[in-house]
Amino acid sequence: MPAPNGPNGFTNQELMVIEAARHIQDGNVVLVGTGMPMVATTFAQKSHAPNCICVVESGPIAPEVIPTPISVSDPKIMHRAVRLGSKREVLGCILQRGLVDVGFLGGAQIDQYGNINTTVIGDYRKPTRRLPGSGGANDVASHSKRILIITKHEKRRFPAHCDYITSPGYLFGPEGRQKAGLPVTTPPITIVTDLAVMELTRESRTMQIIKLMPGVQLGRVLDSLQFAPAVSAHLTEVELPTAEQLRILREEVDPSGVYLKRDGAAGE
Amino acid sequence: MPRSHMNKVMSLTEAVQEFVKDGASVGLGGQNIGRCAMAAVHEIIRQGKRNLTLYGCNLSISMDMLVGAGLVRRCESGSGNLERFGTTFCWRRKVESGELEMEDFSHLAMVSRFLAGEMGLPFMPTKSLLGSDILTYTSRGTQKKFEIVDNPWNPGEPVVLLPAVNPDVAIVHVQRADPMGNLFIEGFSTHEPEMIRASRAVIVTCEELVSTEEARRHPERTTIPFLYVSAVVHQPWGAHPTSVHRYYDYDGDHINHYQACARQGGEAVQGYLDRYVYGSKSFADYLERIGGPARLAGLRASMQSMTRIP
Repeated sequence: MPAPNGPNGFTNQELMVIEAARHIQDGNVVLVGTGMPMVATTFAQKSHAPNCICVVESGPIAPEVIPTPISVSDPKIMHRAVRLGSKREVLGCILQRGLVDVGFLGGAQIDQYGNINTTVIGDYRKPTRRLPGSGGANDVASHSKRILIITKHEKRRFPAHCDYITSPGYLFGPEGRQKAGLPVTTPPITIVTDLAVMELTRESRTMQIIKLMPGVQLGRVLDSLQFAPAVSAHLTEVELPTAEQLRILREEVDPSGVYLKRDGAAGE
Repeated sequence: MPRSHMNKVMSLTEAVQEFVKDGASVGLGGQNIGRCAMAAVHEIIRQGKRNLTLYGCNLSISMDMLVGAGLVRRCESGSGNLERFGTTFCWRRKVESGELEMEDFSHLAMVSRFLAGEMGLPFMPTKSLLGSDILTYTSRGTQKKFEIVDNPWNPGEPVVLLPAVNPDVAIVHVQRADPMGNLFIEGFSTHEPEMIRASRAVIVTCEELVSTEEARRHPERTTIPFLYVSAVVHQPWGAHPTSVHRYYDYDGDHINHYQACARQGGEAVQGYLDRYVYGSKSFADYLERIGGPARLAGLRASMQSMTRIP
């Protein structure tokens, strides 16, 4: 993915992380996995949301993450946690209990209803490509008050319908979650990519493009989805990062570039 | 119970011989690159226990090695992967070829199943999975994966019931244990507390063997009391190349080495197993092969820089 260096010399991948982090508010309880969700949440903590609380499915509660964890069982994700508990505590007693404000996910496939597939490409019993599976993602998508998805923008990742719905968005339309009996019926869902920001509309609960990355033409985003999304009447450009935001990201969050590539080469 | 409650210490060879049978269902502890019971897995591979069904939440390198050795028939779990180190390649290959049955749940769903198992209940409700394809598709060999019932106290509200899991044997590596089998788990504990108490037998390897007097002096520090534990094996570094909180960091180079072999499959996997598992007389021998004291000291120092060793 070519990521043009803008006047401030940042990549769209870096701005993707900063933009995703803007959707985390100070004081939010955020359930995060590793990779980009963890990078963005750590950035939020070190910039505009110092009181956001991070919980991790393997057991860490409110850690002060040190750079750069590569797994939910990485010691770096445990650093200075107030408790290192169990999966039951985090996924049951915090998430299913209803205490998570933002569930932060990635995904192999994300469809127009915000459903996520991390299980299988092709047929379940005869898969073309077997993927890792749900992990805690189904739980996060079922129980979080808001769902935030961050992913590299590639056409193959955005089918009209997922091959397999691992983690529920709105399933098949506005009433989808309610009909299925999911505990959280109308969570806002936002998808942040290195090309655009998309949200599910209130009316159809399908994807709508609301922001473009600087310098990205709408046509390129439309060409990178396998369905025709709505386009906001108030389409705007993602706000540029400040020098301080870039410094925090590069020096404090991922200083050795485990996830963030300065030259614009593919990261996650 | 044939052995005295007071002393369950034995060798890994004895423990696996006695408690892991061909065709057993095995609960695997640890997660991703943290506290996987690798020494015990090596011994299961050396003894060639076959036709295993593996249970866990995240199944990672320990599962993948057992699959690579051709000993696993079926997995039931929430995921199989090593995150930044890539997927679990032996597992992926055999699921794709249809040689391995895989039944998918979420992590909370698996924890809920262990929770039912540890409390002597037949099933556990959850509000996860609703609307997802985890409830649409089942693997070959699954009889009845779930049931959706109406909440009796709130008619119209669907609730998913999941069957209890009681593995024949759980395999875990912990920081400290005493000869009775009282376990002291430090740091994150994943699904282990529920899984251990749900299992019919439990093999524990530990970094340090401590006295029962220590448990009696600080009983509030005991994570799991001895009642569930069948065998205690003192095996320092028994989770290598995964990490143990407060003891050592994960060995990224070795995990990458395994992953390169696993990705390639076939002779590369066989070569790995020949060199590090079949060819190692003991886990101590394996530790020499992966770089010995110098390598291990680096992993300890790395963990010390993040947590202080007590």
